[in-house]
Amino acid sequence: MPEIDRRNFLKLVGVSAGAAAASGCSDPVQKLIPYVVQPEVITPGIAVIYASTCQECPAGCGLHVRTREGRPIKLEGNPDHPVNRGALCARGQASIGRTYLPDRYPGPLKRQADGGWAPISWEDAYALVAKKIAAVGDRTHVLGGSVGPTLSGLIDQWVAAVGAGGRTVYEPFDYTALKEASRSVFGIASRPRFDLSQADFVMDFGSDFLESWTSPVEHGRQFAAARRVDQEAGGARLVYVGPRLTLTAGNSDEWLPAKPGTEGVLALGIARAALDAARDSGAEVPDADQLRGILSGFGENAVSTITEVPAATIRRLGKAMLAARQPVALPPGVALTSRRATATTAAVLILNAVVGAIGKSVFVVPDGSATDQVASYREVAQLVQRMKAGSVSLLLIHDTNPVYSMPGDSGFAEALEKVDFVISTASGPDETSERADLILPDHTPMESWGDHAPRPGVRSLIQPTIRPLHDSRAFGDTLIESARAMGDATAAQLPSGSFRTILEQAWSDTDFRAALAAGGVFGKEAASGAVTLAPGISSLSFTEPRFEGDGSFVLLPVPSPLLSDGRGANLPWLQETPDPVMKVTWQSWAEISHTAAEALGAEYGDVLAVRTSVGVVELPVVPRGGIRDDVIAIAIGQGHDVGFYASRVEDGKLGGTRGVNVISILPALTDESGGRAWLTARAAVRATGAHRRVAKTQEFDNKRGRQLGEAVSLAALAAGDEAAEASNAAAAYSEEQAGAHADEHGGAHGDGQGGSHEIRKPYDPTHDSTDESPYRWGMTIDLDRCNGCSACIVACSIENNVPTVGEELVLLDRQMQWLRIERYIGDGFQELVTGRNAPTDHEVLGNTDVRHSPMLCQQCGAAPCEPVCPVFATYHNPEGLNGMIYNRCIGTRYCSNNCPYKVRRYNWFDYAIENVHEPMHLLLNPDVTVRGQGVMEKCTFCIQRIEGGRQIAKDGNRPIADGEVTPACAQTCPTQAITFGNLKDDASAAVKQADAGGARAYHALHMLNTRPSITYLAKVRRGTEGTEG
Amino acid sequence: MTPPTQPVAGMIRPVPMPPDSQTNRDLLAVMKGTSAGYWFLLGLSLFFMHLAGGIWIWQVYKGLGIAGYAHPIFWGVYIVTFVFWVGIAHAGTLISAILFLFRAKWRNAINRGAEAMTVFAVLTAAQFLGIHVGRIWKSYFILPYPNQRGLWVNFKSPLLWDTFAISTYATISILFLFVGLIPDIAIARDRATGWKKVLYTVLALGWVGSSSQWKAHNRSVLHLSGLATPLVLSVHSVVSWDFAMALVPGWHTTIFAPYFVAGAIFSGFAMVLTLMIPVRRIFGLEAYITDYHFENMARFILLTSTICGYAYMSEYFISWYSGVEAEQTAFWLRAFGPYWISTWVMIIFNTVLPQLLWFKKLRVNVPFLFVLSVLINIGMWFERYVIIITALSREYNPAVWGEFIPSWPEMGILAGSFGFFCTFFLIFLKLFPVVAIAEMKEIAIHEKAHGAQGTH
Repeated sequence: MPEIDRRNFLKLVGVSAGAAAASGCSDPVQKLIPYVVQPEVITPGIAVIYASTCQECPAGCGLHVRTREGRPIKLEGNPDHPVNRGALCARGQASIGRTYLPDRYPGPLKRQADGGWAPISWEDAYALVAKKIAAVGDRTHVLGGSVGPTLSGLIDQWVAAVGAGGRTVYEPFDYTALKEASRSVFGIASRPRFDLSQADFVMDFGSDFLESWTSPVEHGRQFAAARRVDQEAGGARLVYVGPRLTLTAGNSDEWLPAKPGTEGVLALGIARAALDAARDSGAEVPDADQLRGILSGFGENAVSTITEVPAATIRRLGKAMLAARQPVALPPGVALTSRRATATTAAVLILNAVVGAIGKSVFVVPDGSATDQVASYREVAQLVQRMKAGSVSLLLIHDTNPVYSMPGDSGFAEALEKVDFVISTASGPDETSERADLILPDHTPMESWGDHAPRPGVRSLIQPTIRPLHDSRAFGDTLIESARAMGDATAAQLPSGSFRTILEQAWSDTDFRAALAAGGVFGKEAASGAVTLAPGISSLSFTEPRFEGDGSFVLLPVPSPLLSDGRGANLPWLQETPDPVMKVTWQSWAEISHTAAEALGAEYGDVLAVRTSVGVVELPVVPRGGIRDDVIAIAIGQGHDVGFYASRVEDGKLGGTRGVNVISILPALTDESGGRAWLTARAAVRATGAHRRVAKTQEFDNKRGRQLGEAVSLAALAAGDEAAEASNAAAAYSEEQAGAHADEHGGAHGDGQGGSHEIRKPYDPTHDSTDESPYRWGMTIDLDRCNGCSACIVACSIENNVPTVGEELVLLDRQMQWLRIERYIGDGFQELVTGRNAPTDHEVLGNTDVRHSPMLCQQCGAAPCEPVCPVFATYHNPEGLNGMIYNRCIGTRYCSNNCPYKVRRYNWFDYAIENVHEPMHLLLNPDVTVRGQGVMEKCTFCIQRIEGGRQIAKDGNRPIADGEVTPACAQTCPTQAITFGNLKDDASAAVKQADAGGARAYHALHMLNTRPSITYLAKVRRGTEGTEG
Repeated sequence: MTPPTQPVAGMIRPVPMPPDSQTNRDLLAVMKGTSAGYWFLLGLSLFFMHLAGGIWIWQVYKGLGIAGYAHPIFWGVYIVTFVFWVGIAHAGTLISAILFLFRAKWRNAINRGAEAMTVFAVLTAAQFLGIHVGRIWKSYFILPYPNQRGLWVNFKSPLLWDTFAISTYATISILFLFVGLIPDIAIARDRATGWKKVLYTVLALGWVGSSSQWKAHNRSVLHLSGLATPLVLSVHSVVSWDFAMALVPGWHTTIFAPYFVAGAIFSGFAMVLTLMIPVRRIFGLEAYITDYHFENMARFILLTSTICGYAYMSEYFISWYSGVEAEQTAFWLRAFGPYWISTWVMIIFNTVLPQLLWFKKLRVNVPFLFVLSVLINIGMWFERYVIIITALSREYNPAVWGEFIPSWPEMGILAGSFGFFCTFFLIFLKLFPVVAIAEMKEIAIHEKAHGAQGTH
């Protein structure tokens, strides 16, 4: 063997380094390791579904947790659950991510002298808690969010056992006004339940029942049912009262932008008008004399002066409500909870009583549900006082984040400083837990046992679907163990066993296993007994609320349909899903009217300083037409400086504040009965001169008469296809029209334009798959049912491993969502804007012609994307879908350019690695490819579900049955606006619905002849009597 | 046909050629020695080339996201620059092939420079296809190579046509340049020493200047011209079909092929002027490249600018006349929307300013021509910017109208493309004669035969 000299040695080194470098270029080898002993219920590749209950809000929707190989990967509604009937909202969909959040506490932590955290064992922690409680005795207090009945009972037992001073159930949205108004009007202190499903006239005094109020999924479903266009008079009418064009207002038929705070007066005015109409027509109203007494001061003219709603309108609505078969009036939601909220709510209940809604649509039953345990704000404020006074020495905080959600001048954070020892059971950091002395992390709902009783007759169970990812313990077990650490005497006062056995005991009256499988026990809903007006009703006083501070604007804090009271802010999908109304992501923004903005000299994106008596926040402005001139609206939910997704990276590390927390500038005020008041502050607003880019995903709401987001008036629909076609021709763009509309800045609405609705292009979609294929997959999307709630967006993102990209990339419109909801105002017109992009909006006060149009891949029969791909990465599959082969894609992006619907999304970076932070990757759906850098992606109609359905059908040697396959978007839709099916099967629901849509059916941009597989059904503009549809 | 009243030699060049040996000396002198200025320019070009290379490597590593793309504008500065360089590449072949076939002998003074420019421009352009795609490491998928997976390419896609058009064009232009160079390389070989001698010996392919070699040479040039002529029209037509075949408002027009070809020739001639004016000045080639040549090029520029202007107007007219709202909107916003500056730069630089060339004084005013040619190059880059960016930003779906702002990495790579081009052009200047010696002598022979100002 020759000697190795220096030269040869270097050669060898070079060769081997080269080889190593070359092999380093390929992907690292990963191994699939089979189970040695396969768990009984787990078959790799087959999802196991567990029933559970959503914990995001008190509504308590039933869940089906889809797990794969022991990991929950998707939440779906439990179809048998009476609250949500299989649907979920955006928040429910996103809540699965809580378990996988990267910033969860790894285990119990103890505050160190230097302010840092140190791990502590559970045993030491319990001993410490026991020692502390023993030392302070009744100066111990429990402050927590609303929890299920079993846990709630256990907490009460614990409080008694350890001799704590008390317990306060704190929810930022407390609904005290509703409870107390019910007590005042009917003598029953319980939150009334509103059922819209049979209603034909809904009078909403700002409840925003489609987005945030009490139970949005249920109300959305009920409203959609009430509004079905094939019913008498074309379905229910909705009249909305409120200062801002909210999502609910955009779904209404008439919008009365009354002066904020005067909703109660308006309700009484309408009640009076109804009573007068009843007298004229001889209709019978129970307790008419008593009511007449209460309503005597509310003549239409007086009310009109106060509310700024025309007297004729009040008279008309009174008549209409009386004439309605089943009217219902809804009280103000959080945003309009003024300092007179109880009186306002009482007024709405009186209106319900006058028009005979009680017992038909409004059920007043003492329910004793968890929400009824919620303390009024006054009680919470008393606790804060006691904390300040030093009479609370140990505070146990669970399931709530009061440091964030208590009003700015409540002094909660300072009061918390005064408490010697603060224990938090938060599973991950939030503003409150960061100020605690001891963290005893709770499981997330996906890891927990529990139950929930949203209302009488509905009991639902929560069961764990994954082994806890971290060293956390159920809050119930923490309570039991800490009591045990205090000694046998204390422990004896609590049930033995673990929280799970306590739960089983609590459910011992049922077949627990069957209840677990079903998700709970769903009995008959308690019917409302006869209710009579309470005698105390006459003593109610209905006056305008006062506002704190001075300034020309009323500050309207809006509960975000996505972030709620801020608890959704750490879930990336909720941050990245555009606000359903303003389409802003990841940021805070202020809404003022165009007139107000002009007066302030502020343009889109200019930073405003909003000052109340409590404080000041600075945030960019998005001027809009759909808000009163004297109102500034700011959404609740942002402004966190803790949380992996809730806060932002500043100076290279997390902890910067994302957006602003409007709660921090709200005064701590209550209504008459002690409930928390939100609509309390006046704000002085000025432009700071700074400018910020707004991460708004849709900047234009003028659809320019194009075949997108169509609507048709009820009259045109009634006249049939012919008329629709005629109005179609009439609405063709002409220059005169454009000029006229440009002048009034309003676009087409309510002027009898009939809509530019065009009938469906007559083509046979079944030719768009091969002759051998029994399928041509397609969809029918009913825009009349879609209310824009955006649940489908989150469902799609989680089902299909669509990453979130964050604020900076949304500013470049690089969000990856396969599905978006386009929001257009009216038919639009050919407006020609000069200059750079400044978002234009055509909202007008009082105009409700808002169209929400879900836009996803249309799976065209003649798809423009297909011929332009040089490598066949996108191609037409035999079943008519536009297939997308990620591995073949080289990223020319030509397909997106040629897609008129612009539904394709591109992986500019390696999002799957950079944006899926561990352990978020455990949430990835193993049935769906994770896309790498440089490839195009788009909606596939959930092809993995189609293939799953095919395998089952194949086993049965039959074709896939209708309804067997449902894409994630259609599955979660609360209003069932989306129907998926086989267009080659005339009996499929999708085809039937499209046919039933008749003249409403159209294809998006059909003039391009792309032969889309999605048939849209135009929204119906109903109008109310006295207004044009 | 009436015979030309002017002597033929006069048509070729109004000033008589310098004597034979001096021609050799003058033209080869260009290749001799390198000044500090040369090294500075080369250094600058190399710097930008390497800067762009660095950015590109970063982009491959990090992802295309470092460029300014914003949904729905998925084609940006890279495709703009690609079309720009393909356009530049047109003048060379036009001068070499079409003018050769038309026996426009004045082209001899500039054809070498133009051909070299063509080759380097095509090579620059071709790189942008790779820079633009998201997965360069898989870009070989676009070639129809046999593979065991049975995968084939989509012959319906204009991008595939592009691939073929560009590679064909690159092949033909390289051949054309090389074949034309052979006699000159032989001249250089005879004078060179050292490694250059070796290089030229190899490249000269044993040229001795025998009449049989000349015969073969002339025939091959003729045939290559015949082959290259349709390419002049086809390459940019195919590139234009990348746009015209799509249904994007503002792209989907039948005028695109002739419009792009005219624009390409326009920009190509402008680039020839931009390059040859300094070359003539620096190397003192006034005797070979005369004002007369520049004036002829100015005439071409005037013609093609007018065609472009007509195309611009026609686009606007048809979009209005079509009655299609999306088209009307797209074009209105093109002129008055977010990108109005680009649009007006394009219109003024490409169609208004070149109209000054109707004045003979300006046609022979070399500084003016130089400034104008640079402005035209800028205007033509903006033409592609306007076509690509404005159209994509204002499409059918107003909910997702977007706005594109170029990022620094993109502009760095744009600068780098000039660096790449200039690097190769500068090296070419020192290695090969930038004015075709043999062809210039052809004219001299012609002059000798007929007398400098002689008649037939």
